[in-house]
Amino acid sequence: MANSCSKKNKSDSLYVSDAKIYPRAVTGLFAMWRSIGVLVLLGIYYIVPWLEWTERQAVLFDLPNRKFHIFGLTFWPQDFFYFAVLLIIAAFALFFFTAIAGRLWCGYACPQTVWTELFMWIERKVEGDRPKQIKLDNMPWTAYKIRIKATKHFLWLALAAYTGFTFVGYFTPIDELASRIASFSLGSWEWFWIVFYSFATWGNAGFMREQVCIYMCPYARFQSAMFDNNTLIISYDKQRGEPRGSRKKSEDPKSKGLGSCIDCTLCVQVCPTGIDIRDGLQYQCIACSACIDVCDSVMDKMNYDRGLIRYTTENALQGKSVKLFRPRIIVYAITLILMTTALTYAIATRVPLEVGISRDRTRLFNETETGLIENTYSLQIINKDEQPHRYKISALGIDGLKMIIKSDTVKIASGEVLDVPLRLQVDPYDLKDRSTEIKITVISTDNPDININEATRFLGPSGRR
Amino acid sequence: MADEALPTCQKTISVLWPAFLTAGVATILFFTAFDPAVLLQETRFADTSRLGAYSVGFFLFWLLTTTSCTLTCFFRKPCGPK
Repeated sequence: MANSCSKKNKSDSLYVSDAKIYPRAVTGLFAMWRSIGVLVLLGIYYIVPWLEWTERQAVLFDLPNRKFHIFGLTFWPQDFFYFAVLLIIAAFALFFFTAIAGRLWCGYACPQTVWTELFMWIERKVEGDRPKQIKLDNMPWTAYKIRIKATKHFLWLALAAYTGFTFVGYFTPIDELASRIASFSLGSWEWFWIVFYSFATWGNAGFMREQVCIYMCPYARFQSAMFDNNTLIISYDKQRGEPRGSRKKSEDPKSKGLGSCIDCTLCVQVCPTGIDIRDGLQYQCIACSACIDVCDSVMDKMNYDRGLIRYTTENALQGKSVKLFRPRIIVYAITLILMTTALTYAIATRVPLEVGISRDRTRLFNETETGLIENTYSLQIINKDEQPHRYKISALGIDGLKMIIKSDTVKIASGEVLDVPLRLQVDPYDLKDRSTEIKITVISTDNPDININEATRFLGPSGRR
Repeated sequence: MADEALPTCQKTISVLWPAFLTAGVATILFFTAFDPAVLLQETRFADTSRLGAYSVGFFLFWLLTTTSCTLTCFFRKPCGPK
């Protein structure tokens, strides 16, 4: 039986038409941790869009208005930099945890795992555990089977639909969305994305399951690059387990020439990807530890020591010492700390104002009728705050610098961009160099903390006259 | 060829799925840099909502990436007589 389950691993082809996998329910320490992970992560997912923050949705990625609200912060497309840094941090966190503890992400936190767990939980409540599911699937289509299958799919689809609704609720205010669904007045694209995401949830968590991990997930393909001999892996202790074979609880395995593995194949039956961990480390293994839990329960029943299948490292298996602080771990950790500190600092000191200065490119400088040297600039001022502001514009850096501007205070609405043409004039006697650094300051009149000092250059004829 | 053994369904998915991923990235980058409301205001699509423009943009990107993935598969076929 074990052989028939692990046969596909030996196939030459990358893609095999798989037999349906019926993972058996499992309880134990790691199953408990995964349940906690599922509850916490799904709890966050379903609850967060309903949180309020000063009379608006606390977390709202408002695509139609091109701004992201995350609690007290508002991000604009110009803040893409923060998002890029966040992605880099996420990538390094993944590298760091993978190098230390293997595929923690896959086993406990990946949405694919989390939703599959929830869908399997419903499936087991409706159809029963593995043996009953197999029996049901082999049954002809009787009224009973139709009723059971219809119940399961009804529950799955209801959950998937609510998941799709919640997903779109991150991008458009969820309470409005709910009332517009109730009155059938949803926009066509909102309908489309709710249905699309619901369908994807139903398909991924209900049917594709481990196929997603094995064939579609890019991380599954490259995660082994982060592994070394000190990385935590789930492994079967061959030395202790082999030769495997059945025996009575009362029999001494040594007298029969057997190892600790009683060949009950439960580790294969609980595996969500249908592999046999006893064949060694395989890339299909998502490190969910179901086989550890079930094997420990069997060892308990047999009065053997736990840990025939356990979290271990390649070095530990070979009797070598395990090193936690390897160069790669230190590099990942330092990068992670630096990046996180930089991002936190950048967000904490972020000014909700952006000023871009561009020079008139057609001529470097003018000479006015009165003999002054004139440079022409264009200021682009973006108000990235939630409120409208009045800003005062000033320029400094050369004695007697004169600013010619329509009005030195401008009012800009929240999220708006204003282009302000600006000319600066200087008496040539005050110009010491061909190019002098000057500072242009934009400061909010109602909140002086919101200010930006931007440097630019003033060009003139060479040298002092 | 190993390719011949692939079921059509998986061949199709192996083209559509990477195309989907890259189209998603392209959509995010493109619409971060360009506001569709500004891009479309002088055209006859000026009435399109931003959400609609993002969605159509995503599918156009997906079409593009799918085309290039498909062509890669197509040109990988050995040519000439057997």
